[in-house]
Amino acid sequence: MRFALGEIRRAKLRFILLVGAVALLVFLILFQQTLAGSLLGQFTGGLEHQSASVLVYSADARRSVDGSRVLPQNVAAVAGVEGVAASGPIGEASFSAKVAGGTILDTTIFGYELGGPGAPTTLSEGRLPERDGEAVASAQDADKGYGFGQQVTIVPGATPISIVGLADDAAFNVQPTLFVSYATYEGLVMSTNPEAKGVVPNLVGVETSAGADPSTVAAAITAQVDGVEALDRNTAVASLPGVSSIQQSFGIILALAFVVVILLIGFFFLIVTVQKTASLTLLRAVGASGGFLLGGLIAQVLIVIGLALLVAIPLTLLAVNGIGSGGFVATVEPSTLVTTSISIILLGVVASIGAMRRVAKIDPAAATMRLAGGGLA
Amino acid sequence: MKLAWRELVRRPSRFLTAGAALTLLVLLLLVLGGILDALVNSATGVLRAQTAPLIVYSADSKGSIDRSRISSEQHAGIANVPGVREATGLGVVLLAGHIEGRTEPADVAVFGYEAPNATVPAPPAPGQAYADASLQAAGLELGQTMVLGRARTPVEVVGWVSGTNYNLQGGVWVEPATWREALNANIPDAAVSPGTFQAILVTPQDGSPVADVAAAIDDRVPGVTALTIDEAIAGVPGVSDQESVFTSIIGTTFAVSGIVVALFFALLTIERVGLLGVLKAIGASSRTLAAGLTVQAVLIAAGALATGSLFALGLAQVIPDTVPLELSTSRFVFTAVGLVVTALIGSAISFRRIIRIDPASAVGGA
Amino acid sequence: MTEGPHVSALDMQDVRKTYGNGETQVAALDHVTLKVGDDEMVALVGPSGSGKTTLLSIAGGLLSPTEGDVIVGPHHITDYNRRELTRFRRDMVGFVFQGANLVPFLTAKENLLLVADVAGKRGKGIDRRAERLLEELGLADRVKNTPPQLSGGERQRVAIGRALMNEPELVLFDEPTSALDSRLGEQVMELIRTEVKGRGTAAVVVTHDQRMTHYADRVVEISDGRLVA
Repeated sequence: MRFALGEIRRAKLRFILLVGAVALLVFLILFQQTLAGSLLGQFTGGLEHQSASVLVYSADARRSVDGSRVLPQNVAAVAGVEGVAASGPIGEASFSAKVAGGTILDTTIFGYELGGPGAPTTLSEGRLPERDGEAVASAQDADKGYGFGQQVTIVPGATPISIVGLADDAAFNVQPTLFVSYATYEGLVMSTNPEAKGVVPNLVGVETSAGADPSTVAAAITAQVDGVEALDRNTAVASLPGVSSIQQSFGIILALAFVVVILLIGFFFLIVTVQKTASLTLLRAVGASGGFLLGGLIAQVLIVIGLALLVAIPLTLLAVNGIGSGGFVATVEPSTLVTTSISIILLGVVASIGAMRRVAKIDPAAATMRLAGGGLA
Repeated sequence: MKLAWRELVRRPSRFLTAGAALTLLVLLLLVLGGILDALVNSATGVLRAQTAPLIVYSADSKGSIDRSRISSEQHAGIANVPGVREATGLGVVLLAGHIEGRTEPADVAVFGYEAPNATVPAPPAPGQAYADASLQAAGLELGQTMVLGRARTPVEVVGWVSGTNYNLQGGVWVEPATWREALNANIPDAAVSPGTFQAILVTPQDGSPVADVAAAIDDRVPGVTALTIDEAIAGVPGVSDQESVFTSIIGTTFAVSGIVVALFFALLTIERVGLLGVLKAIGASSRTLAAGLTVQAVLIAAGALATGSLFALGLAQVIPDTVPLELSTSRFVFTAVGLVVTALIGSAISFRRIIRIDPASAVGGA
Repeated sequence: MTEGPHVSALDMQDVRKTYGNGETQVAALDHVTLKVGDDEMVALVGPSGSGKTTLLSIAGGLLSPTEGDVIVGPHHITDYNRRELTRFRRDMVGFVFQGANLVPFLTAKENLLLVADVAGKRGKGIDRRAERLLEELGLADRVKNTPPQLSGGERQRVAIGRALMNEPELVLFDEPTSALDSRLGEQVMELIRTEVKGRGTAAVVVTHDQRMTHYADRVVEISDGRLVA
């Protein structure tokens, strides 16, 4: 260990550049992971954390909540399917909401039958709406004007909504989200679009009977009711448009970043080892064992990666906060941080195998030969 | 300089690892940039294709065309504002398009419009449509009738257009009444009456400044906001967030590339300190040696760009359609310029070391 | 560059080179005065640590003296700055180092043309000069070989060719035969003498091998930084 530290002390610039490069690469990975996770949650939270365990779409809708409209006769038909304990309409649309201070923000509004399926399940403050005009808001947007006890006005039509509760992880379509009674929802649609010919719910929410498996009930509904497709909640969330795009896009980016990080770590250490061949050979000649040199190398790899993580993690938190001030909410998941850090350490050591093999190949007898030094012949 | 070139050409293996690392970084940069471009284009492409410089939304729609409604009275009012030469309507609805012989419907964005723009000719007859060429991948053919949404509104495809996607859904362009029919039949709670549009595209008269006409519209017509196309693009929800997030990631990747170049050439210089000392002894100036280093850095960057670009193009062919990825010429150029500049800066880190090499070190033996 | 009346190829006047200061100061060269005529070949002999390398470096413009004057041909290089020294070395001096020190990925001919490349001069005349030199050095069939493909003696000969390419005033040899066996060593020393005399170039050959000194016109001994009379 002392040997490894001594070496590092003697080549400070090289070492700093190495740690810097690895830190930036690790930051890239951690930052993008955090973004992907948060983005996904803000797309799907509102649908994931509500009480309906089965969601019924129009067959046409391609599993998009925005594009789905379930006709009244089908809404009624759902109630009759076996395993359905309670069912009710769920409406979802995007509106303009004016908050205190006059700013107008894009807002997603879910309307559900009070007491029925579709109520938010992650209440952190206050209560569920008990009458028209009340709402539960997504907690992360509380300081944008959707705070507990505050009022927002839906424009046009100037409908006031009072926020009586906050729910965690309840945002939908990456917008502040409100849960209101279905009647309130209908009123909002009609007032913002006076030419509307009536309001049709996007989904039918279903609470399944005790002991019934949601996916089985979903399959039954799809089979028995005309023109609909029913999905259990998890499938519905995973099938939301944009989810697969985000997952695949970030998947590709992260995979590339990982490959680049690992290759670069290996490449750096290989070059440094090759460059030190002369002095390493000398060490072997005077009796240092191969294991000693190898241990020194592994120690250096661990030190570099460890320091890089120490730089990258705070950098990630900083960046996440910076992004957060721009309106986009991102939270760092400690478990993701830990797993990624461990994988990088392991993979980094694996990547240095090239350098390790070089070290193992060093022949102490070569010390007695005149080595062509410094790139000359 | 010749020496630097010869080393690169005759001893390519020593530059291989740096080249490989940079190639991967180029690939990463192009993929990041390509995803960003696709996302931004899909949200703003239709706006950017407009030849009209102004677009008018309803005042409380917050620049979102989905929630904007302009009545026929407001439309007439806008057309009458002094300085306005032409005020044409635009509307859009997202539906599932069912194609004959195909079980999977395609996601389409049905546009109702009145006047041609950079990508679409004048509106076809009622019941007919121009379809975006990207829908051919879903099986759509010229002359086919596609039915829209649950209500099965029919449109006959009479021509192709390109670059008209919206929200990653293929554009289908119809005259206004057909659009209203599709909208009202499928999404009754968003229904519009005859004459209503979601946005109005305004072309000012020759000689009337755009800003003045916009202000006049805001003043004279109640309940509407006039924006320049650039303002409208900036106001599309999510776009500026996406851009800032992706740009910071791209910037970080460029910084990493710079460090790769810096580290590689720092180590290379250390490895060659003997040779550099001899060159200085026989009369090579530090400037010549530094220039040689820069040449090598730029050439490696160029090689990485070429190879990385090929990989990116290959990747674009095999990734699934759900991943938004658009590789445009400007993205390649931006990445190329950025990488060369980064390589230049990275190689400059070694200049001090080169200057400090003492030619007297060449004398005195190994 | 300052030029004065042309007297000799090398004129070192009371040159002192010290390192460090105060009590720990070391004098690598102490009051060295040495004149080398226009086509004189001088052997500089001394044990290791005697200062012969320092003398060679100062004579060739690789180091500046702490005290004293150094004049090479018409050039008073004592107070030249780094840039001027670089140009001086490029145009006026030839070096042959202990280990040949060739560029391993250049051919023999390209190694010769290195100085011209560095100076930005090229052309048929220079090309032919390189070929002729290689012929004279007995390397006509080795023109296209790279150093790893050459023997130790051949490499040393290429190094000599490189030193002569810019038609220098003065060629400085640092232990040219120490890496070679005695037969090869004698061949190289003969070659050096032939080339140097044939061109009217002055040469200073540092060596610790007494068997080689008879090739020189004069032998100068150095010990502890001083010339032995």
